[in-house]
Amino acid sequence: MGADASDLSLVRRVQRGDKGAFDALVLKYQHKLVKLVMRYVRNPAEAEDIAQEAFIKAYRALPQFRGDSAFYTWLYRIAINTAKNAVVSRDRSPIEYNIDRNNEESYDMQSRLKDSETPEALVLTEEIRSIVNAAIEALPEDLRTAIVLRELEGLSYEEIAAAMDCPVGTVRSRIFRAREAIDRRLREVFEGGLGRTEELG
Amino acid sequence: MKEELDSQLSAMFDDELASAECELLARRLSRDGELRARWERYAVIAAAIRAERGVRLNARVARRVSVIVGAEPALAATAAPGRVSRRWVRPVAGAAVAASVAAVSVLWLRTHQVPGPVAAAPELAAVLATRVTAPTVVPAAARSPAGPDSYVVPPAARSGAAIVPAELANYVVAHSMFSPPVARRNLLSSFMTSEPAAAGPIAVSTDGAQGSPRDAKGSAQ
Repeated sequence: MGADASDLSLVRRVQRGDKGAFDALVLKYQHKLVKLVMRYVRNPAEAEDIAQEAFIKAYRALPQFRGDSAFYTWLYRIAINTAKNAVVSRDRSPIEYNIDRNNEESYDMQSRLKDSETPEALVLTEEIRSIVNAAIEALPEDLRTAIVLRELEGLSYEEIAAAMDCPVGTVRSRIFRAREAIDRRLREVFEGGLGRTEELG
Repeated sequence: MKEELDSQLSAMFDDELASAECELLARRLSRDGELRARWERYAVIAAAIRAERGVRLNARVARRVSVIVGAEPALAATAAPGRVSRRWVRPVAGAAVAASVAAVSVLWLRTHQVPGPVAAAPELAAVLATRVTAPTVVPAAARSPAGPDSYVVPPAARSGAAIVPAELANYVVAHSMFSPPVARRNLLSSFMTSEPAAAGPIAVSTDGAQGSPRDAKGSAQ
């Protein structure tokens, strides 16, 4: 088990021209990157745009990536620089909305333009969270502990094995079974919900 | 079999799968849409558990990036010429730098060429010419039977500063003040190193032939 072996195997495939492997990397890190960028910008839609730009920059720079650092560390740096540049350029040329502040209806429209966290997107996100939380609550204690230690605390399998006093193989199995249980409930939402949100978003 | 694959996928998502297995699974992941959808849901589960504020748990970014990347040329196609050019550029650039340095060095040496004692002091050259440029007659024993009788050896004094006579030292030093510093230093060091040889006067024969025993030996050879 090599640290970053998973990412590196996908990166090598992208470097050989496999775009599907890059999709997998984006799917894995998109939420982390948006969260990271949101330290610099408050607007979720703007954060998504910056994260998207960072991923495109990373894709174009991947031929130069030699694996000296972990892929996510490298991606993290690109995202930070992209976010900083975006903030600087936005401050230099702030977007002006030619809306009369005295006109209440127009002013409300401006607020809504800035806050692109649409109700539909919020509802879906909340729906997903509640499903995941409910699924976690329903898990047997050992599975719940394993998945929470992994996802919330970021512990490695070895560290979880030490904490739970069980073999690493058992940890791997517990985490997998926990994910499968949550995924079974999440799949229904994804099949119907995400397409609808795409159209709205 | 399916469950084992999904278990591997879960471990790969956590960076807890062996490299060799990662290689195989990465290939499947990039081609198998169903497997990738599962991978995506694993990422959503992780984000939901972390309850990342403001992060929307849809795949908007991923879908937009996928569309943009899909329109771009594949990296292998764009990277290949770059690698080739990089492979050639480095040695060529290195050779160019080396050639430039060599050319500059040659030009510098030509413009700052260290003149010999004679060139540095034309007056000395004139004096030396009157004293040491008389033709050297090679002894009969050294002559080639088939060669001409009046074989002339180039004057030995021109070949180096070692035989600058000592009595001319003051003259040379005085006049070398007008020569470049490097030449002056060279001239002075020549005096110092050739002190024993230069201490005595140049042997000039009465019949116009000159030369030390060393010169005669050299000529005989």
